[in-house]
Amino acid sequence: MAEKVMVKGNEAMGEAAVRAGCRLYFGYPITPQSELTEYMSRRLPEVEGTFLQSESEVAAVNMIYGAASTGTRVMTSTSSPGFSLMQEGISYIAGAELPSVFINVVRGGPGLGDIQPAQSDYFQGTKGGGHGDYHLIVLAPSSVQEAVDLVQLAFDLADKYRNPVLVLADGMLGQMMEPVEFPEFRDLNTLPDHSSWAMQGCEGREPHKITSFDIDPINLEKMNLGYQKKYREIEANEVRYETEMIEDAEYLLVGYGTMARILGTVVKMARNEGIKVGLFRPITLWPFPYKELESAAEGKKALLTVEMSMGQMVEDVRLAINGKMHVDFYGRTGGVVPTPEEVLRELKKIVERSE
Amino acid sequence: MFDSRISVFMGMFGSGKTEISLNVALELKEKFEHVALADIDVISSYFRSRDYISELERIGIRLIAPHGALMHADLPIITAAVYGYISNETYSLIIDVGGNDDGAVALGSLKVALDGKDVRTYFVLNPYRPFTDTIEKAVEHISRLSKVSRRKIDYLINNANLGNETTLENIRYGERFVSEVSKRINIPVLATVVADGICFNAEKFPVFKIKKFLKTPWDIR
Repeated sequence: MAEKVMVKGNEAMGEAAVRAGCRLYFGYPITPQSELTEYMSRRLPEVEGTFLQSESEVAAVNMIYGAASTGTRVMTSTSSPGFSLMQEGISYIAGAELPSVFINVVRGGPGLGDIQPAQSDYFQGTKGGGHGDYHLIVLAPSSVQEAVDLVQLAFDLADKYRNPVLVLADGMLGQMMEPVEFPEFRDLNTLPDHSSWAMQGCEGREPHKITSFDIDPINLEKMNLGYQKKYREIEANEVRYETEMIEDAEYLLVGYGTMARILGTVVKMARNEGIKVGLFRPITLWPFPYKELESAAEGKKALLTVEMSMGQMVEDVRLAINGKMHVDFYGRTGGVVPTPEEVLRELKKIVERSE
Repeated sequence: MFDSRISVFMGMFGSGKTEISLNVALELKEKFEHVALADIDVISSYFRSRDYISELERIGIRLIAPHGALMHADLPIITAAVYGYISNETYSLIIDVGGNDDGAVALGSLKVALDGKDVRTYFVLNPYRPFTDTIEKAVEHISRLSKVSRRKIDYLINNANLGNETTLENIRYGERFVSEVSKRINIPVLATVVADGICFNAEKFPVFKIKKFLKTPWDIR
């Protein structure tokens, strides 16, 4: 059966990683992403890969650090509290410039929170999370098929820029089932060659050094300037976003991930009632599509950002709009998912105010 | 079609047990006064029977699931009330089992209570799901889950689907697939499940029409 299959988001991201040539997974189960860990535990032995359940997320992230030092495709997946535990290691990995893929299937927070879907880890994913001046590339899928595609892209970007990449999903995307088509298996012999820097045995050559450390501040600053140069390059080349019906729109909704699916329904409902509204959906959360959103918002009467959080991405939306217009926000949090009806009500309030 | 006093729906993760259980409950409610649905799914955190408690109770179907805040937990809780409804002969009971081995273990714990009662156990198959996409895998999972759950499976149910993208050809492929599984393990096929909105007339097996309960937040209700 080469055609479509019916897959849960969590399973789909696991299979996508395997097909991208990932043969190493280290992780620890946590709801609502445990199916991904379970999937890899069954699937990796079938393709001569290695699955290892670590004793905690702290151990997992350091296993990723070690494996990534060899230039081999490696990943982990977790949910919010587990991703918090990984932050120290991620900062080290970013500093050591190691390609690796992380998946955070976000749940309600802060703290232990709950196991329902949320988007309240946006700051953590896009603004650091760990210590130091570093960035993850952050990709936000809104369907199971897109999750498959972005996991593939995540491995390619990680290799291209020697940088950790985060796929920021939410519990809904992890748990829901949709039909998907998987890409072909990547030939492992065609994966990027990292022999110029990776730890692959140094017989007959100078040893390579992989570290995020330099005791001399001048040298450490130099390393940092190198990271920044790379980040500017990523910002210039890797911005991704999508729009829906924005050309004739008087109002603009902004949302990412599964929230954008709900906003897609709101667009249809609102247009049935004669409200001309469009949707702007960032796919890369870092680099954020600042310029693209700025031009999409040009000439619109008002802009409403909706998130499953108390307002995190809305800060980037306001940076993009740069004070040129009022940016409204609506959010639910703690695992509560806004309904299309309640978002439509919010939109109507704004329409009334703006007419 | 589901004519025993107790109907048990088991299968692999995401095969459609909950969707079918909810629909069977609705159908039985038209014939019987007392109908209860026991959600003993101890592994799923989303898309469970218990999420439809108010809809079910409005039409008089008792939902047996962990109460109050515990209904949101992914904890291995089976309320003692399940035993009561198993022995209460005035109730038609549907048991919605969690998927995979962990779900089947929970069913196994009810063995003593279920033995000797008028029970039928159904195994739901969707050949478009990754763990049952070949005959060999399906046979292996059915045999293993039967052992783990300590239940003899009476019937197979063809639930071949690709969600909203299901075609008639998908359903026919499911019928051929489940027939082959049926031959290998000598368990008959009860029915083919067809979601509302799809026009499929009975071909190999009787058709069980279902209304879809499990929706994503962006589906217009």
